[in-house]
Amino acid sequence: MRTRIIVKLDVKSPYVVKPVHFEGLRKIGLPVDLAKKYYEQGADEVMYIDIVASLYRREILFDEIEKTANELFIPFGVGGGVKTIEDFSKLFHSGADKVAINTYSVQENPQIINQAAEIFGNQAVIVNIEAKKWNTHYECYTDCGRIQSGTDVVEWAKEIELRGAGEIFLQCVDTDGRRRGFDIELAKKVVNSVNIPVVVASGAGSLKDIKKLIEYAKPSGVAIASLLHYDKYTVKDIKEYLRNNEIKVSK
Amino acid sequence: MSNNIIGLINYGISGNIHSIKKAIEKAGGTVKILNNKEELNNVDKIVIPGVGSFKDAMSELEKDELIEPLKQAIQSKPTLGICLGMQILSTLGFEYGKTQGLDAIKAEVKPMLVDAKVPHVGFNTIDIVESNPLLNGLENEDFYFMHSYEVVNYTEIASLTDYAGHKFVSSVQKDHIYGVQFHPEKSREAGIKLFKNFIEL
Repeated sequence: MRTRIIVKLDVKSPYVVKPVHFEGLRKIGLPVDLAKKYYEQGADEVMYIDIVASLYRREILFDEIEKTANELFIPFGVGGGVKTIEDFSKLFHSGADKVAINTYSVQENPQIINQAAEIFGNQAVIVNIEAKKWNTHYECYTDCGRIQSGTDVVEWAKEIELRGAGEIFLQCVDTDGRRRGFDIELAKKVVNSVNIPVVVASGAGSLKDIKKLIEYAKPSGVAIASLLHYDKYTVKDIKEYLRNNEIKVSK
Repeated sequence: MSNNIIGLINYGISGNIHSIKKAIEKAGGTVKILNNKEELNNVDKIVIPGVGSFKDAMSELEKDELIEPLKQAIQSKPTLGICLGMQILSTLGFEYGKTQGLDAIKAEVKPMLVDAKVPHVGFNTIDIVESNPLLNGLENEDFYFMHSYEVVNYTEIASLTDYAGHKFVSSVQKDHIYGVQFHPEKSREAGIKLFKNFIEL
């Protein structure tokens, strides 16, 4: 099993931004340029999330997404503001290989996961979870980490697997953008509670953080943003480091 | 090569045709997107893409009255099925019930039973069992996989891939008919090379 190294682009159109705790945005660059840069560095996948589409009830920006997709010959996941089967369909036609859904599925209509999986195949349907830690459990948040849902993260993970989701993209409101390490307990809990792949985001601050997460929680993939956006390391550096530490990654 | 037009089957809402078109063009090929059966006559080669379920794919082909014309075209034109496009080349599929496929390869499509996460997602290598022009020069390359079902057959196997100790069929070949379980259009330069090989067939 090779752990996938995925680059996460948080987009507030037209820029890729880097939120800290999902707030306090900094502009990094244009999605199309960054996607190309990370593709050339050896990223296994790119995950594009429009972080304000749900929050501001904005339209999905299909043109931007298509432009970004055109630069990539690796899988391209897209999320943010997805509400209908038509959104899924339009995103696939704009060049997305997988579509991530969060807010609408957990707050309004979980049945959309079943419908999308039946039409587009399980592997193309990702559920994005934004987890927040409480004393006894983790809770799903939505709208870019702002709105509570009352839904328990582990229960939700199991439910979406049954509904046909092909992958979980796990973010953590508490650790996102802080570069102080992942919440590895959260990651392990979710990875162990489902049989579908789990990609873990939020927290990579050093190469060691990534290694620790992979060794402890064994996720299918790790999503990285800040560490790359500030040019601290390249994807190639990360893969080389993991390979030297006996963690399998692709070329 | 002026008479080397690759026809890409466009069926229903569940197509990843744009990324495949882009990759074939990058490999130097000419692509024509096929929306109906008449257009099948105007191309020299066929690529069958596919994202979605076996059942959905076949019912979309049926709706477009493409099943019989496609079966015929495949018999004379070099054909490449990608992912679900490879799966529907088989006789029978077991995704959301039992569905007849295009029956170009004697095989069945069944859920992956493996002691690991499913879908199998990510880059993996292929072990070539029977070399062929499509896989020429790609022995040690990584390809991107994204699937929950696998083609089960005992003949026409071109390569196997190991996932958590489970070996499954990652590509097939029968004469000029090829199928790959992975996504060459998502496999960097190795995928572009595969399309170059297909163009040169």
